[in-house]
Amino acid sequence: MRFLVTLMQKPMMSFYAEAIITPRAGVLDTQGKAVEKTLGRLGYENAGNVRVGRIVTMTVKANEKSEAAEYVKSMCGDLLANDLIETYTVTVREAE
Amino acid sequence: MRVSIVVFPGSNCDRDVQRAVSETLKTQVDMVWHEEREFPEKPDLVVLPGGFSYGDYLRSGAMAARSPIIDSVRAHAASGGLLLGICNGFQVLTEARLLPGALLANTSMTFLCKKCWLRVESTDNHFTSGLKKGDIVQYPIAHHEGLYFLPEKELKALEDDGRVVFRYADKDTGKAGAEYAPNGALNGIAGICNKEGNILGLMPHPERSTFGHLNGGSDGREFWLSVARDFAERGAF
Repeated sequence: MRFLVTLMQKPMMSFYAEAIITPRAGVLDTQGKAVEKTLGRLGYENAGNVRVGRIVTMTVKANEKSEAAEYVKSMCGDLLANDLIETYTVTVREAE
Repeated sequence: MRVSIVVFPGSNCDRDVQRAVSETLKTQVDMVWHEEREFPEKPDLVVLPGGFSYGDYLRSGAMAARSPIIDSVRAHAASGGLLLGICNGFQVLTEARLLPGALLANTSMTFLCKKCWLRVESTDNHFTSGLKKGDIVQYPIAHHEGLYFLPEKELKALEDDGRVVFRYADKDTGKAGAEYAPNGALNGIAGICNKEGNILGLMPHPERSTFGHLNGGSDGREFWLSVARDFAERGAF
């Protein structure tokens, strides 16, 4: 029986996912401020609101794209981002 | 009083706390590796020590806050047990949502390691009940992410509840506030507790000011004695 169920299931697909995590608006970003200051020193005076975050990339096995996205969003809530001080966006595409 | 200190990979103040507590209070101190799921013996006080757990990867304290031992730490605190987070331990407590807020990078953009004066803002908890409100104490700081942050509304509630326990201060005038915070902490907050007063988190290190001959001062000694006195009066929980 278990063997039949396995046969009927579609094989999971592999997706490439990116979680982009940035400091929330209004939360002091000391790193971003320092980078902006240095950019200004290099002549990039038209740059403003520089914020430094991080990107976490990974591959995810899922049945479809939306499922992979939900999976990564769940990770953001559980560990990758701290929603008190950070926001995140998740992008997913089929892995090559 | 039985004390357990949780050791994470990258903890580096665990032995300082062990020495400070065991010598000041003449009590049993167990060192508990973070991968354990339970404490070897029921502790009365659990300490999450300072250091750089998991190399501060992702966010300071983020990974340690999801360690196997944390479920037992939560259960211990939920049953009224004392839980103290010092420096990285405070960061772990906020990441575990056992205390509100977050610790952001210092506005100075530098690692700050120096003596630091604090005003005792509240004694209505199980850690500072033996100190006097308004007292100025010196516990050193050593951190890169010590800027206490909490959104405005919650910050006001925290202040109104009297849950700010330590605030950075000027040692001569006794004034305390944001202008005396070396790290840019909102309202000059150095340490806070939960509503029940059995969880305390602070950035400065009382264990580094326990033995005067180590040149970090000795005000921390009174802190440990205060915890022990409160516990003795309250008895086991």
